[in-house]
Amino acid sequence: MTAIAFEPHGISARRRRVAGVVYRDLAAMRRSPIRVFEILFWPVIELVVWGYVTLFLQANKVPFVVSMLLGAVLLWQVLHRASNEVSIGFLEDVWSRNLINLHVTPVTPGEYVTGLVLFSLIKIAGGLAVMTTLAYVLYGFGLFSVGIGLVPFVAVLLVLGWALALVAISAVLRFGEGAQVIAWSLVFVFQPIAGVFYPVSVLPEVLQWIAAAVPASHVFEGMRAVLGGAPVPWDTLGLAIALDAGYVAVALWLYSATLRHARAKGRLSRFGE
Amino acid sequence: MAILEAQSLTKRFGPVHAVNGVSLTVGQGEITGLLGPNGAGKSTTLHMLLGLVTPDSGSVTMFGLDLQRHRTEVLSRVNFSASYLGLPGVLHVREVLNSFARLYALRDVRKRVDDVTELLEIGPLLKRRTGDLSSGQHTRVQLAKALLNDPELLILDEPTAALDPDAGERIRALLVTVARETGKALLITSHNMREVERMCDTIHFLSAGRVVASGSAAGLAEHFGVVDLEEVFLKVAREGVPA
Repeated sequence: MTAIAFEPHGISARRRRVAGVVYRDLAAMRRSPIRVFEILFWPVIELVVWGYVTLFLQANKVPFVVSMLLGAVLLWQVLHRASNEVSIGFLEDVWSRNLINLHVTPVTPGEYVTGLVLFSLIKIAGGLAVMTTLAYVLYGFGLFSVGIGLVPFVAVLLVLGWALALVAISAVLRFGEGAQVIAWSLVFVFQPIAGVFYPVSVLPEVLQWIAAAVPASHVFEGMRAVLGGAPVPWDTLGLAIALDAGYVAVALWLYSATLRHARAKGRLSRFGE
Repeated sequence: MAILEAQSLTKRFGPVHAVNGVSLTVGQGEITGLLGPNGAGKSTTLHMLLGLVTPDSGSVTMFGLDLQRHRTEVLSRVNFSASYLGLPGVLHVREVLNSFARLYALRDVRKRVDDVTELLEIGPLLKRRTGDLSSGQHTRVQLAKALLNDPELLILDEPTAALDPDAGERIRALLVTVARETGKALLITSHNMREVERMCDTIHFLSAGRVVASGSAAGLAEHFGVVDLEEVFLKVAREGVPA
């Protein structure tokens, strides 16, 4: 073993390798103003559009509508960005034909994903800070009015978004670059059934059963309950956390299986072509 | 001492037998070449040695460790460069090197980056975006990346393919010096026969996924009854495997 490097299985080496992934993405963001711009652009557009829709509805005496819809917009962005940022981090390695360079380093798949997740957290935190400030300034809505429940709400959505990103990455590893559309769109499959902007009870019964198996639906239902004055529904949050654990387990298994498959079929090599 | 031992590597992609029972050994400080026409199985072999492709059968041992079971330890001591690989185009060269130095868990990132910068003479490129580099400059940065972790085995797929004759000659001289002075093992593929003749101690000739001949450049020429490696290549590529 060369003395210039940390012992490969030590915590210092693991920390440094994860930091390498985060450093790379931070440097790329710094060098690419468009990447900074897109953190803010879509969330702000959504906030402005939905904000004025809610002001209109409020003027028509629909109760709680401002807080409920703006809360939904903000929390939806957490889920959306968590999924997309991790997927994009991976896709940028595909686009720059850098994936092989990464896979011949000692970085483990777990360390790579950890790095992508940490970087996504940084971007989401930045985007959320801007959006919550705007929501307060433009519409007088304070996201923190959700109270302590906000922390598990956000955590459940982040974890679900990361799990969806792993599924999207797995699809690209399995089917090639043509499957990258999944990275952009997978999260939207969950939008109608998660009851982001309306209660799950308005869905047909079959979809309500499906929604019950989606962690995000419990978060958005819980958020509406809290903004309506009810206490944080810790029991349904517990269910959402348990569902999240299941989603993550399946996503990790899928990622691991598709990586093995990509190596067995030589697909990983083709990302260098 | 053997740094790398590959035993009976086999890989099929559907009906195609890409690699069929390839065995090879690379010793410390030894420069080994893999030659063969397009589609002979060189890159697939290299990718199996790097763990990018899982062999259908056979084994890869490096530093006495099985690659499949000791991936992290083995890859910490190996590096790879290929002319066809990219680097994140928006990053400056220094940022790319900083990033890879961390991915190899190096202790003193700045010093190692400075060391390889000096070795590859890429100082003037450090503040340039990798996407703006010429292919020759890109190759030098890829090689700098490949030397960051001071690898005991350096695997190079067409290392000088994109370089002009002068730059290619300087890189060849550097690689030979690095191998001879530091005891690094080099495993290279190339279509430049003069390069292989001048650099490699041992050459394995691949055709249709098999090693059809091994030896020194002079030994191979003698074996095939021709004057140099270029003619060996043409003979194998055009006439197939001799009896």
